[in-house]
Amino acid sequence: MRFNDLMLGSMLLLFAVVLGAYSFTFPPIPGQRFGAALFPQVIALGLGGCALTLLLQSWRRARANPPAPRTPLISRTEWTLKPGAIAAVFLTIGLVVLYILFSEKIGFLLSISAILIILFRLLHVPWSSTLAATLVGSILLDFVFRSLLLVPLPFGILPRLPW
Amino acid sequence: MDVLTQASALVFQWQVIVAIIAAAGFGLLVGAIPGLTATMATALLVPFAFFMDPVPAVGMMVTCAAMAIFAGDIPGILLRIPGTPASAAYASEGYAMTQQGRAEEALGASLLFSAIGGLFGTFVLIFAAPTLAEIALNFSSAEYFWMALLGLTCAVFIGASSPLKGMISLFIGLFVATIGLNNPAGVPRFTFGSSDLLAGVDFIPAMIGLFAVSVVLSTVAAGAPPWESPQKKTGNVFHAWGGLLRRYWPQQLRGNLLGTVVGALPGAGADIAAWIAYAVSRRFSRTPEKYGTGHVEGIVECTSSNNAAVSSAWIPAFVFGIPGDTITAIVIGVLYVKGLNPGPTLFIFNPETIYAVFLIFILANLVMVPLGWLLIKSATRMIQAPRRILMPLILAFCIVGAYASNNSVYGIVIMLVFGVLGFIMEENDIPIAPCILGIVLGPIVEARFISGMIRGDGSLLYFFERPIAAGLGLFVIAIWLLSLVGWLRRRKRRLAAAGTQDGSEASA
Repeated sequence: MRFNDLMLGSMLLLFAVVLGAYSFTFPPIPGQRFGAALFPQVIALGLGGCALTLLLQSWRRARANPPAPRTPLISRTEWTLKPGAIAAVFLTIGLVVLYILFSEKIGFLLSISAILIILFRLLHVPWSSTLAATLVGSILLDFVFRSLLLVPLPFGILPRLPW
Repeated sequence: MDVLTQASALVFQWQVIVAIIAAAGFGLLVGAIPGLTATMATALLVPFAFFMDPVPAVGMMVTCAAMAIFAGDIPGILLRIPGTPASAAYASEGYAMTQQGRAEEALGASLLFSAIGGLFGTFVLIFAAPTLAEIALNFSSAEYFWMALLGLTCAVFIGASSPLKGMISLFIGLFVATIGLNNPAGVPRFTFGSSDLLAGVDFIPAMIGLFAVSVVLSTVAAGAPPWESPQKKTGNVFHAWGGLLRRYWPQQLRGNLLGTVVGALPGAGADIAAWIAYAVSRRFSRTPEKYGTGHVEGIVECTSSNNAAVSSAWIPAFVFGIPGDTITAIVIGVLYVKGLNPGPTLFIFNPETIYAVFLIFILANLVMVPLGWLLIKSATRMIQAPRRILMPLILAFCIVGAYASNNSVYGIVIMLVFGVLGFIMEENDIPIAPCILGIVLGPIVEARFISGMIRGDGSLLYFFERPIAAGLGLFVIAIWLLSLVGWLRRRKRRLAAAGTQDGSEASA
């Protein structure tokens, strides 16, 4: 997903304007000229400057070769043309979102195993390797982080494991 | 001499040696795993340290930190996923070398110059600690402000094909740094009522997201084909050593000196040293155009500086009890628990302990060579492992690592947001490195600027009042001006070239 200069510049400019405007709501430090608002405003100014430069570049290019076909606002990079590529990205992001939502209830081992199985199968790993890698991977992570590093990974619906 | 004998007696016991080697192995492993930092490795050793004598306890942490910083180079070079933030500055450079089948040269340079850098920093620590720390201790807001601004200035030029995109990345990072309560006014900014965001964006999950999850996303999308131009086997890592040393000793020395100075400053550690070293190296190189295309010169200077910084970060820690970075901060806590109060008194009442720790520094940097070689030999198998098996496992590891940073799913949320952000940035050729530097240096720049303005009663002249501050300030401004002049000249030349091209086309 590649934005052209016009699109990227406009998005950044919008963000810079919102950032700058919002930072005016921060209260000043009493008796001082500068407070919490100064730094975000400087950032908004800098980002706005970058955005304007991008827009200027895009405008100059368009003016220099008017007959040239315009690059679309959003174009697809080479890899996204492969069938299923965008779906794979959204599926991966979706799996992490599901983990965030449900891992406390279901437990670490089951939810991470589910993620691993789905991703392995998505990448066409044979079932035997999928199951072996999922089993070894999830149990090893659980052992190292829960037992050795004492990270309180959620148990969820599973009983406490012997290690 | 008597002190040195006593110190040797403390170090050369089998328990101490075993503890050091075990810590070295642990540091190498953690450092080599993307997303797990040297700080995390050190923190994980704290529970063990409480049960040990002071010398092995401190020795263990010192060794572990040095190893983790070196090991961070390995995944950076082989996979372009830096193992620790200190390797982020030159991960792309090293990866470009791997793509050309020159991984052993990059890894060999990393191992050799890491060890030399560590030893250099240690010798400075031993001989010049008190004087250097005194200088750094005299720094005020003005000096810190300029140092941080220097880091930010350098960030724009790091790894960016276009400085404009580098600047966009930097401003994104600076914006991320403003989130939360951590600002001079103590006002919650951009938290939108979230109590998690009050503490700001957690650096470890953000780093895992930007550097690891974005890679997983793009690889999964591409169907995880085999590694691009993979180097199946690394040859002899020692092979290039003689040539590298002869050719790049000035870069090595400059990296060592820069790393030592940056490391000795409170608050600035190995990662900032590496960023600045890369920019300095590129600026003064005879072949700056080769940077970013797999050029070993930058790697030599960076890896020389980050390991020197790891050693010299102990100067303010031991002499004045002021941490140089997060790792030394943890160890200072352990020193207090052990009844060894860091400060000048440590040198007066327990000189044998401090010299024993210095001896361990030297040992650690020496064992780095054989252990590092073993790790490099086994790590290259990583590149042969099928990516379609490795990537889901890396994602699972990222999830657990992000969770472990503060034991809540909030870390995973941060990781995911930054993973997607990094993915979109990479798609649009916006480099990630300046963003990370913005996140790290943003709070320093802001806090130092505001406190400087308060002290200077609103006058910008405050930042030039002291000689060191004035020197640093002029240096930063000179870099800005030189870059601007260089850009204008290039632009003029380009326009002139375009003009002659048009002219010749018209006459034809």
